[in-house]
Amino acid sequence: MLQRSPLVLRDGTSIDDLIDRNMNEVSLRVMSDEELYHLEMERIFAKTWLLLGHETEIPKGGDFIVRDMGEDNVIVSRDRQGEIHVSLNVCPHRGMKVCTAEAGNAQAHRCIYHGWAFRPDGSFIGAPIEKEQMHGDKRPKEELGLKKARVHLYGGLIFATWNPEGTFDEFLGDAKFYLDQLFCRSDNGLEMLGPPQRFVLPCNWKIPGEQSGSDGFHTLTLHRSLMEGGIMGGTAESIYDNAPGMYGVDISCDQGHSLRCLEAAQTFKMFADVSFEGKTVEERLHLLPPPGVTKEMIPQLFKNLSERQVEQLATCPPQVGGLFPNVLLAFIFAPRTDGGASGALALHTYVPKGPNHVEFVNFIFAEKDAPEQVKRDMLQNAIQQTGTSGIIEQDDADTWPQIMRNSRGAVSKHMTLKYQALTGHHKPDDWYGDGYVYPGFTKDDTQWNWWMAYYNLMTASA
Amino acid sequence: MTDYSTAAVDKSGVLRGLVSKTRVPLGSEVYNRILETLYDEAAALDERRFDDWVAMLGEDLIYTAPIRLTRTGPNRDRDVMRTMMHFDDNYASILMRTGRLAKSAWAEDPPSRCRRFITNVRMAECEAPDQYEVVSYLYVERSRGDNWHNETVTAERRDIWRAIDGGYKLSKREIICDQSTLSMSNFAIFF
Repeated sequence: MLQRSPLVLRDGTSIDDLIDRNMNEVSLRVMSDEELYHLEMERIFAKTWLLLGHETEIPKGGDFIVRDMGEDNVIVSRDRQGEIHVSLNVCPHRGMKVCTAEAGNAQAHRCIYHGWAFRPDGSFIGAPIEKEQMHGDKRPKEELGLKKARVHLYGGLIFATWNPEGTFDEFLGDAKFYLDQLFCRSDNGLEMLGPPQRFVLPCNWKIPGEQSGSDGFHTLTLHRSLMEGGIMGGTAESIYDNAPGMYGVDISCDQGHSLRCLEAAQTFKMFADVSFEGKTVEERLHLLPPPGVTKEMIPQLFKNLSERQVEQLATCPPQVGGLFPNVLLAFIFAPRTDGGASGALALHTYVPKGPNHVEFVNFIFAEKDAPEQVKRDMLQNAIQQTGTSGIIEQDDADTWPQIMRNSRGAVSKHMTLKYQALTGHHKPDDWYGDGYVYPGFTKDDTQWNWWMAYYNLMTASA
Repeated sequence: MTDYSTAAVDKSGVLRGLVSKTRVPLGSEVYNRILETLYDEAAALDERRFDDWVAMLGEDLIYTAPIRLTRTGPNRDRDVMRTMMHFDDNYASILMRTGRLAKSAWAEDPPSRCRRFITNVRMAECEAPDQYEVVSYLYVERSRGDNWHNETVTAERRDIWRAIDGGYKLSKREIICDQSTLSMSNFAIFF
């Protein structure tokens, strides 16, 4: 068990004042407090595993992308042997950005300021005018490389951490069983379809962050246009009677990750007549392949996943959710007007840019083995539904900054966010995996667990 | 096979506005009429007359906005990435978007107050008859609610307009924004 140490802000407010564990309430102040923000950068973003990208972004030796771990800018590069490295993009000489591009291919990264150069693995090559030894004689070259983060690849996703302790499996916890169904189900894995979309919103990272803890409820009102557009079950008039997409099984774990597992027929109008009654797992998969999976790929699912994982994927697949602290995932059915339903696979990271801003980074995927036209359709689905112009997420992006403005008022900041509609963990006998299981109407449990993961990291002893 | 990798360089990703060499001179009849069409279009969008706007679109419309990705060295000018876009639309999906705006689309309800400035308009004749390549600069100021900070976009638009029924219809538009990380909260408005 982690040792806890009390967190008290300079004005005497403790984290227990801000996060009321008896009442399941969080003070709105947490969204704008600058002192808390700096502690988050140290205790969360410099300590836990963070998603940076996907290995298909940098397929060749020397390929690199530049990303952020909190406010620390890093170079993610592939060396000639194919290994991926994550190095701080700060020249150890005078602090300049070593790499000023956002992507490219280079066997050496040379700082433009004084010319110190580094290999894709971060190691120091040397400074110009070797005979003058412009790196001095107090430190050997081995100590003058770029600072390196630990890297872990999961389903091709590139994660990194500055923390020397803790395995990636410990970080994923019970969520792994479910996430495998999305990221580790096919022989050749996912492919990222182009660089991410990026845009900055005037709000704290935790506003989209806590929503990524599987806030299912907001879909009904904020994303009402999905019902009006006839995509989800019911009509505009019957939204609250049918509550499409609200019933399912929510999953989470102590690490703060969560997933919403939804039956397609219960969610979308066009699948409402698909009956799974008396059908085998394989028959179900052929009737309605999970988002992003083509019928040709179905045998791969049986090869790469356990029997129970395939069974769940065929019946009640994980569709939306998040990884603590700042990842949202949406592997959703995306019925198309032209009759296709190839799905949309998207991941977002919400990268902090100071207490008042967040960068929304939208990664879009398809299965690498999917036909070119399926990839093209899925890219278009994802762009039209998520991210910059996505009809779903436009509405989120307009809502979050308004919560932010409210978090600054002398009175408003003492208002609390309420997570009091709770189901309580009760796992049905025939449920597939572990973790906290919340069947039925989607409630606040998973988001509260997100805050508990936040609380635990913010109060962990260094 | 499309190479979707982020590191890959697209050699065509250079900002080169006008392709055709057959210029439509400033002040000519065609230039004036198309310029007037661009102004009418901006007014229709600023005034949120979406039916009027859709009436200016061809049913063959391709409407895209590629992302930008900062590069250095020999590839420094190849920063337009068409593997990923902020908009990837056609006529049907634009109708879906404008239809949504007529119902519950909180991103534009209350509506933004926008001002679209169209300048530096250059035109040329396409090889196909009655089609014109139109390149313009776009500057958008967007005001939301009582927020005193406007959000802005600067971009180059590369259009194809087709002469039809005594007017012009948009059959292709590529919106090339200048920012690699956008400072606009969403693209719930059209450009």
